[in-house]
Amino acid sequence: MKRNAWIGLGRLWLGLAYAFMFLPLVVLILFSLQANRFPGFPLQGWTLQWYARLFDDGTLIAALGHTMIVSPAAASVATIIAFLAGYALNRFTFPGKTALLGLVTLPIIIPPLILGVGFLGLLARIHLSGTLLAVFLTHVVLITAPALAIIQLRLSQMPKALEEAAWDLGASEWQAVRRVVLPFALPGILGAWLLAFTFSFDEFIIAWFVSGFDQTLPVAIYSVLVAAIDPSLNAIGTIVFAMSCAVLIALEVLLIPYLIRKPDA
Amino acid sequence: MSQLAPQTAPVPDLELVQVSKMFGDFLAVDTVDLSVAPGEFVAIMGPSGCGKTTLLRILAGLESVTYGQVKIRGRDVSAVPVNRRTTRLVWQNYALFPHLDVAGNIAFGLTLGRHDKAAVAGKVAQMGALVGLDDFMTRPIGQLSGGQKQRVALARALVTEPDILLLDEPLSALDAHLRIRMQAELRRIQQQLGMAFIYVTHNQHEAFSMADRVAVMNRGRIEQLDTPEVLYATPKTEFVARFVGSNNILPGTLAGYDGDVAVVTCAHGPVRVADAQGLAAGTRVVVAIAAEKLRRGLRAGDNTVPAVMRGREFAGSHNVFLMDLADGTEIKVVSHDGAIPDYGAEERLCFAPEDASLIRGAK
Ligand SMILES: Nc1ncnc2c1ncn2[C@@H]1O[C@H](COP(=O)(O)OP(=O)(O)OP(=O)(O)O)[C@@H](O)[C@H]1O
Ligand SMILES: [Mg+2]
Repeated sequence: MKRNAWIGLGRLWLGLAYAFMFLPLVVLILFSLQANRFPGFPLQGWTLQWYARLFDDGTLIAALGHTMIVSPAAASVATIIAFLAGYALNRFTFPGKTALLGLVTLPIIIPPLILGVGFLGLLARIHLSGTLLAVFLTHVVLITAPALAIIQLRLSQMPKALEEAAWDLGASEWQAVRRVVLPFALPGILGAWLLAFTFSFDEFIIAWFVSGFDQTLPVAIYSVLVAAIDPSLNAIGTIVFAMSCAVLIALEVLLIPYLIRKPDA
Repeated sequence: MSQLAPQTAPVPDLELVQVSKMFGDFLAVDTVDLSVAPGEFVAIMGPSGCGKTTLLRILAGLESVTYGQVKIRGRDVSAVPVNRRTTRLVWQNYALFPHLDVAGNIAFGLTLGRHDKAAVAGKVAQMGALVGLDDFMTRPIGQLSGGQKQRVALARALVTEPDILLLDEPLSALDAHLRIRMQAELRRIQQQLGMAFIYVTHNQHEAFSMADRVAVMNRGRIEQLDTPEVLYATPKTEFVARFVGSNNILPGTLAGYDGDVAVVTCAHGPVRVADAQGLAAGTRVVVAIAAEKLRRGLRAGDNTVPAVMRGREFAGSHNVFLMDLADGTEIKVVSHDGAIPDYGAEERLCFAPEDASLIRGAK
């Protein structure tokens, strides 16, 4: 009896924790579908007008489009760089190794504001400022560091003998990387890509400095927000949330079973 | 004509000529010469850190040599990279590929170049059967027992038909029972394939029960390479005598020869040892006597050594008594009769001169 009471209390606590996490999302979705101009009660009836306005106006959708080009591209390039660097750092000792590692991780420590100013100055000089390419380049610099941290962590768990065993069985360096190191690092690589993508997707400060007219989503949202409170923001938020859910579910349904049942190479 | 001269000996599967390896200024392998006949099973044993793994890695091509030559089937392979050598290494911790299943691991070495899928599958199945893994071919590596992993590692190496198989303490992670079964199985497979095996272990029983010849290594050198019987009966150096078997060591000084019997002055008095080396009187020597050659009691013509009973290990079929000599040297005595002396009791041990061997002491 007493035990059941504790379990009930635990469930209640868990429910509260979930509510705390998801309430903002519920509010967001709710008010994207309500006629209220400001998020507050009483509710004034269901409507799709904010979605209509979002698509009529087009800026936020265009910004989302920009982000969906820049972020996956930056995440992919950063992950490739991070894997190659992580592999080298894990396998070789060479003079300046610590310095190199420090250099790559530096962008995590430097406040983005300072990085943003620096990038702005540099990119303006080489006439890249204000383009999507600029956002892409700065994001690659920024998100390579966390991607490297994850991939290196994974690679450091790989016994050295694994790669040696591949060579011993006749594999060339390249074959050993492709057939042993890459599969081993795959969970790390996927995790690194997702993290890098999220970082880039969310990144505001530097993008705000260098993006000019080709705004990414966070910058566009900020611009809208500065002008007025616009329920279209709820609508775009809901769309992004729905996309995230779709991607995560797709991952769970498609990719993870694929990864688990892998061994029939 | 010189080409027509009769071949005196077949080309050895493996030949090491004065092989040395330095890590920085540390000499890990020190001028090792070794010749392994076709199909021979050679065990290498020695204490931790003596360079066994380094030597195997040199053979595999994972380490370069600092000096010397490695020849496989008569061909100098010192400059051949690891992936082009015809040796295969079996790691202590197996080093299996965790993302592949049993069949995938075994097939790995066969699928690196151009290959026929059906032929590979056939070879893999055949090798799986040889090592007794037929029922586990689609198991992921994570779901195998230690013994099964060992078999996969073995099959993965053997399926590529190497000239020489190198094994680095392959059974040390297994429990005693399984180890003995795997020893027999390894030996069977080795004989069946007629392949040269070089087997590193620090377990003497393993080395002695499996190998045709055993090399004892110490500080990067091979101190002695002989058949188990010879190694056991006549250790050539003090280190080998101490390392091998249940040898007892009595240090002393050579007083001189009485015919073909050397007379050695030990701490408790003179000891007579059959010996034909003809060392100079005054040489520091050690007398090595196997534990089962020591007997309690007195016998005419034998050496006698006074000792004090200290402890006992019961080994099922026999007892091992631990005793101390007057100078504190600890010795072991194997006894097959049931009588157990009291602890602290004075005992007289005797051994025949021909049951001991005389070894020049370490400098
Ligand atoms: N890469 C290396 N760099 C420097 N020293 C090394 C290296 N590899 C091995 N050594 C040294 O060489 C010596 C021999 O090492 P090795 O691994 O061959 O010993 P081992 O006989 O296999 O010992 P164990 O029975 O413990 O496995 C050791 O003193 C070790 O510290
Ligand atoms: Mg070793």
